[in-house]
Amino acid sequence: MIQAINAALDEEMARDARVMVLGEDVGKRGGVFLATEGLQQKYGPDRVMDTPLSEAAIIGAAVGMAAHGMRPVAEIQFADYVFPGFDQLVSQAAKLRYRSGGQFTAPMVVRMPSGGGVRGGHHHSQSPEAHFAHTGGLKTIVVSTPYDTKGLLKSAIRDDDPVIFMEPKRLYRALKEEVPSEEYLIPIGKAAVRREGSDISLISYGGSMIETQKAAEELASVGISAEVIDLRTVMPWDKEAVLNSVAKTGRVLVISEAPRTASIASEVAATIAEELLDQLEAPPLRVTGFDTPYPYAQDKLYMPTVTRILNAAKRALDY
Amino acid sequence: MIKDAWTFKPFSAAPIALMDEQGNWVADFPLELPPDFLRGLYRDMLAARLLDEKFVILIRTGKTSFIAPHAGHEAAHVGIAHAMQRGHDWLFPYYRDMGLMVAMGMPFKEIFGQMLGNAADPAKGRQMPSHPGSRALNIFTVCSAIASHIPPAAGAAVSMKLKGTGQVSVCTFGDGATSEGDWYAGLNFAAVQGAPAVFACLNNRYAISVDLSHQTAAHSIADKAHAFGIPGYRVDGMDALASYFVMREVIERARSGHGPALVELEVYRYGPHSSADDDLRYRPKEEVEAAKKRDPIERFRRLLEKQGLWNLEWEERLRADLKARIDRALEEAEAMGEVPALAMFDDVFAEPTWNLIEQRALVQEELR
Ligand SMILES: Cc1ncc(C[n+]2csc(CCOP(=O)(O)OP(=O)(O)O)c2C)c(N)n1
Repeated sequence: MIQAINAALDEEMARDARVMVLGEDVGKRGGVFLATEGLQQKYGPDRVMDTPLSEAAIIGAAVGMAAHGMRPVAEIQFADYVFPGFDQLVSQAAKLRYRSGGQFTAPMVVRMPSGGGVRGGHHHSQSPEAHFAHTGGLKTIVVSTPYDTKGLLKSAIRDDDPVIFMEPKRLYRALKEEVPSEEYLIPIGKAAVRREGSDISLISYGGSMIETQKAAEELASVGISAEVIDLRTVMPWDKEAVLNSVAKTGRVLVISEAPRTASIASEVAATIAEELLDQLEAPPLRVTGFDTPYPYAQDKLYMPTVTRILNAAKRALDY
Repeated sequence: MIKDAWTFKPFSAAPIALMDEQGNWVADFPLELPPDFLRGLYRDMLAARLLDEKFVILIRTGKTSFIAPHAGHEAAHVGIAHAMQRGHDWLFPYYRDMGLMVAMGMPFKEIFGQMLGNAADPAKGRQMPSHPGSRALNIFTVCSAIASHIPPAAGAAVSMKLKGTGQVSVCTFGDGATSEGDWYAGLNFAAVQGAPAVFACLNNRYAISVDLSHQTAAHSIADKAHAFGIPGYRVDGMDALASYFVMREVIERARSGHGPALVELEVYRYGPHSSADDDLRYRPKEEVEAAKKRDPIERFRRLLEKQGLWNLEWEERLRADLKARIDRALEEAEAMGEVPALAMFDDVFAEPTWNLIEQRALVQEELR
């Protein structure tokens, strides 16, 4: 996945001289996860800019650069550190087009490693996507495969609005997949059906796709056919794909490691209940992280485990 | 006693140093500190260094998941801690302050408990390693989010002033932290209130790979104090006595109602930024080697020797004793075992809410 990010940035910087990268340690070090490795050597310190340690400055400056015609791709070292820059995201980036009546825009990308499973404690493990989804004017992507990462990052860079691009850090080096070296784009806002099935729909995204797919395999081994959908974009999420699947299966789990209350999972489950009540065989269930800060000592237990997903599936199937 | 004449002048062009690299006392006032106090500074620096070495073993053997090397910061650490009224004043530290924890009197066993994230951690394994804290010792819990502890340090100082407790709030951070909005917000607030706060920057010239020239265009971090209307001091942070005397003075100054100060302690980090970092990507080996030649412990040892307070036999006994205490504390911490899984639902609020009670029951069922 790291190589896919690097390739997407490299291709877009080569294609469009307005595209630039900025953030903490992105230059000489190549990013703490090495996502920007080699780019400063190739494009120079003005287009791959090591910034002061200030997320407010990084995001706020990106807004100004974007408004003035650049295409900045800002890196926030960990999603947990977006908060010092949150005012700039919420007050400036998200609302610029709207509040100026379309006169000014902020076509920028804010990349950030998110999620848990790496023994990082709460400040290196959070999944803050709901904060972004709850802010009108931001699009939010959470990737789960290297192939998608390259195609979606390129789309995000070409998008005319601010896009939050979240990268579950536990997937950075966990997944190997051939990623084409030629140009391709994946549209923002479109889900992917990872597995076809007829008995129950498992809707997930990001890091939790791993446990979701494992759970689907386990269900298959006992003769239950689960359909697996990867949202990929959580705002705007692909309502059509989700409703089509649930209309077919009648049962659904929404799975994510973000805290449960007021989450993307809550939103998807509520929409399903609103629109498909007649066709449901069981209530839509959420399998999520907890409403506690992310605990260091219980790193693995916090995230939806395969067991927790299977227990919920049993509840839905037995309903 | 309100004192108006101070020993140290703020905004000096060169860092304040009181001993040279050979350990000669070069200050224009006599060194009148008790021998036991001087030996205590040395003992704490050595303990901090041995702890740093132990942490490397913890990471190599997979017993911990993260360390932030502090070797090179020891003189600043002991200077800050011993200038404070420990247990009375409050400290707001950051993650590279393990030597400061030692000098503040935090038991090795608690330090290891935190590093292991196990039942020996007074904070119940909630945070990643290198994030200590102690209510008992008035040490605010370290937060990973850089500079986020600085406004709280200012707030505590304001409370101390309002309540007239005679305490001082001491806050440490790296040079990188001085770029965050929270840093400006916190220093400005404390300065406006004339609160008893001391802000100590451990400037090791790097914020991960990014060097000082990327954090500031100012001549020094200390110079930034001008903007807040408070004094700023540049100190040789590899000189334990300069660190101690300057900190002592600004703490006394804050305690006696003269308001905050900013102290920049110039140090060097010998190790990588953290166990996840490769420092060869951004700084030459020679630079690190050159800094090691200025080692704060060795420099202070020379001073002690010149004062007739050091000999090899004492050193060997001290080392052996510290090593044994560190090893024993680690064993004791390891023996405490895991934090119970369900403890993850405690302490979110004073009283658990229905959602947490439900979620706890779900995990309890799953673990059965
Ligand atoms: C708000 C925030 N942004 C980014 C990070 C990631 N990060 C951790 S340490 C660090 C560098 C800090 O450097 P400095 O303040 O100089 O302290 P030093 O590590 O050099 O002692 C960065 C960027 C963070 N922890 N918090």
